[in-house]
Amino acid sequence: MMVPVRCFSCGTVVGEHWEEFKARAESHEGDEDPADVLDDLGVDRHCCRRMLISHQDLVDVVSPYQ
Amino acid sequence: MSSQDFDVEFVDRDDREARFVVRNITPAFANGVRRAMLADVPTLSIDSVRFVENSSVMFDEQLALRLGLVPLTTPDDYEAGETVTLALDVEGPGTAYSGDLVSNDPEVEPADDNIPIIELKDDQRLELEADAVMGYGRDHAKHQGGVAVGYRHLQRINVVGDSPEYADDEPRMLRGVIEEDGELVPTDDFDNDLTNRYPGKEVEVEDVPGAFVFQVESDGSMPVEELVLRAVDTLVDRADELEQAVQL
Repeated sequence: MMVPVRCFSCGTVVGEHWEEFKARAESHEGDEDPADVLDDLGVDRHCCRRMLISHQDLVDVVSPYQ
Repeated sequence: MSSQDFDVEFVDRDDREARFVVRNITPAFANGVRRAMLADVPTLSIDSVRFVENSSVMFDEQLALRLGLVPLTTPDDYEAGETVTLALDVEGPGTAYSGDLVSNDPEVEPADDNIPIIELKDDQRLELEADAVMGYGRDHAKHQGGVAVGYRHLQRINVVGDSPEYADDEPRMLRGVIEEDGELVPTDDFDNDLTNRYPGKEVEVEDVPGAFVFQVESDGSMPVEELVLRAVDTLVDRADELEQAVQL
């Protein structure tokens, strides 16, 4: 649904990086290498990196059924 | 405890992240400090939420959980159990961010402003009032001031000879901080590979007795330095309490 606020494993706040990560690596306009973007954002540990890499926004999918 | 004095030396220092070496402590004491940083330093965090209107796609309790995880800056004049009231009022279309939270104490504010709370569509609205409580990390992880707090031994490298002439070029990985003639060298300086630092040498790695490298990150509720000092203060308070109890 919405990006998790913190990393499940270590508790670092990862939500604040989502929009920039999405703009630069996830969308069609953003075609940077996700690994480079994460390095740039300072998301170093692999537990935090997977939080952003594997996230899918679902608000648009569920909103018609409100 | 040893009769020598403690000695603290910083390797990296930042508000959010720091690495420092502490000398002349025991593993038990190092772990005590680590645990105090996680469990015994109270921070402010949203604990109860009164929803005025929530027509978003998430349930009230889901949003309350997300709000609780947002780190809030914690001034040092708050006692455990004290509360601060925050409010949020956002109308769609748009996204409600942690930065939209308005606090009744200007010193208490979200440490990060860009955390999305919920995306709102047309005609959706989120209005709420929340109470942030000063609580302990031992009660709920949202009150932990430190994240990924750890320590490891400071290490020393001894060159024991040359590597055999036709030996394979295998990397020798080591992560942490090494001490070299009294200088502290983080292993990232040479790509964590000892064969880069000592080419063609055979080396042995040894722990420096009583020296620990702490790696501390803060979630933003307070600077790392303050977190460590408050953690040590709680240990002092506990020792005092024990002394009082024994005297009675």
